[in-house]
Parts: sequence; structure tokens; C-alpha cells
Amino acid sequence: MIFLAYLYDLPNATEGVDAIVNQMTTGSFYWFVPMILFFTFCIVFIGGITRQRIRTGTADYSAWGIIASMTTLLPALLFSVQAGFIRLDWLVIVISLNILTAFWFFMDKKVTEV
Amino acid sequence: MEKSTITLTISLVMVALFTIAIISFSVGFANDNSAVINIADDPELSALSTETTTGLSDFKDDSEGTYSSILETTIEPGSDVAQSTGPFAITAGNIIGVTKNIIYLPYKKIFGSGSGFGIFFTTFMGFLVLIIGLLMYKTLRGNP
Repeated sequence: MIFLAYLYDLPNATEGVDAIVNQMTTGSFYWFVPMILFFTFCIVFIGGITRQRIRTGTADYSAWGIIASMTTLLPALLFSVQAGFIRLDWLVIVISLNILTAFWFFMDKKVTEV
Repeated sequence: MEKSTITLTISLVMVALFTIAIISFSVGFANDNSAVINIADDPELSALSTETTTGLSDFKDDSEGTYSSILETTIEPGSDVAQSTGPFAITAGNIIGVTKNIIYLPYKKIFGSGSGFGIFFTTFMGFLVLIIGLLMYKTLRGNP
């Protein structure tokens, strides 16, 4: 049997799964965490809009926007506990996205009688 | 989106409250869990929270004076409109500085501080101020 050389360096698996992910995010796959956050936002935002449109015929875009951004904030805060997962400017962008979607949500309300 | 003056004021105040809440929650989460990456390390975000809190405090204080001016408003017999826009001075004109700060920071963090999008922000804020003025006028006199 012929063993081919590995195409990448195997991670050190003796220190737990979080250490493996940490090695991966700081080394071979730098954009892992931002892509996870982007996937979380899109799966909630697009999925929510699509299912609501199918069920009711219309969709509340601003509400799904703020739900998706707050859903993205939770894993971003979890990633911030340990070093190596997320950078400060990425976390600030997630916070900024929350503020922007909140502005969209609160301004996207219909007129009342007063 | 057509909005009344009260709805617009509530929207702007809620945006300010949400901004304070989301920043305070993030900082509190980082402090409770001894997080390595802390939002409090970003000076602009911390400054925004402080400025928004100050702006809302001013809004709270000024609203009492506006309430008094609303009570003192008189409408002449045979007229169905108020004589001045004084009762509406607090509504959005007071809170517009808070909103400007809140919108400017996400814009700066996402798009950067370059001058490329500067005209976008300037135009948007001018448009927002114009709409607020038209809404006040519409509340007093009907459709402009």
C-alpha cells in the first residue's frame, strides 16, 4: 500500500475539539468564523422570509432582518470568549449590523391615527 | 413610508434604546465570561453608548417643557390649527442628534471612514431631516 503525503498539516487532536477549531481558524482557514456568522444570518433571514411568504403570501423583511442579526450576535459573542476565533472589528461589525437592522425595523412601521 | 409625528418619535427613541441595550448586553456578556474580545475595547462604540445615553437624558428633561407648552397651546375660535410649531419642537428635532450618531457609527464601521460613501450619508441625513419637517407641517396643516 502506498501512502500519499498529506495535503495539509493535521491538527493536534490531543487538546480537545476547541483547540482543533482554534488551530484551523488561526491557520489554514482564516475565514471560518465570518463565514459561519454570514451563514447564520442568511439561513435565518432568507429562510424566514421564504417560509413566511409561502405560508401567508407576504413577508415582514425588517422583522426577519433584526431576528437574523440578533441570531448572528449570539454565536459571535460565544466566539469572543476564547482568543483566536473572532477579531474585535468583526464583532463590532455584527453589533453595527444589529443597530442598522434595528433602525430599519423601528422605522418600517405603518402610520397610526395620531 | 408614511409616518405620523408620534410614531416617528417613538421609532427614533426605540432605536436609541435598542442601541444602548445591545451594546450594554455585549459588554456585560464579555465582563461576566471574562471574554478575550470585549466590545468595551472599541472606543467609538463605547462613546456612542455614552452619547446616546446623554441624548436620551436630554430628551427626557426637555419633554417636560414640551408637555407644558402643549398644555398652554391655544386654538382661536373658528380655527382648527395651532398658531406655532412649539408643541412639536421636542418630537424629532431633539432626538435627531442621537439618531445621527447611531446611524453614523455602523456606516463608518462597515463602509470605512473613506470619503467614497460620504455623499450617501450626507444626503440620507438631509433627506431624513426634510421628511421630519414635512411630517410636522402635515400634522399642523394637513397635506403639504
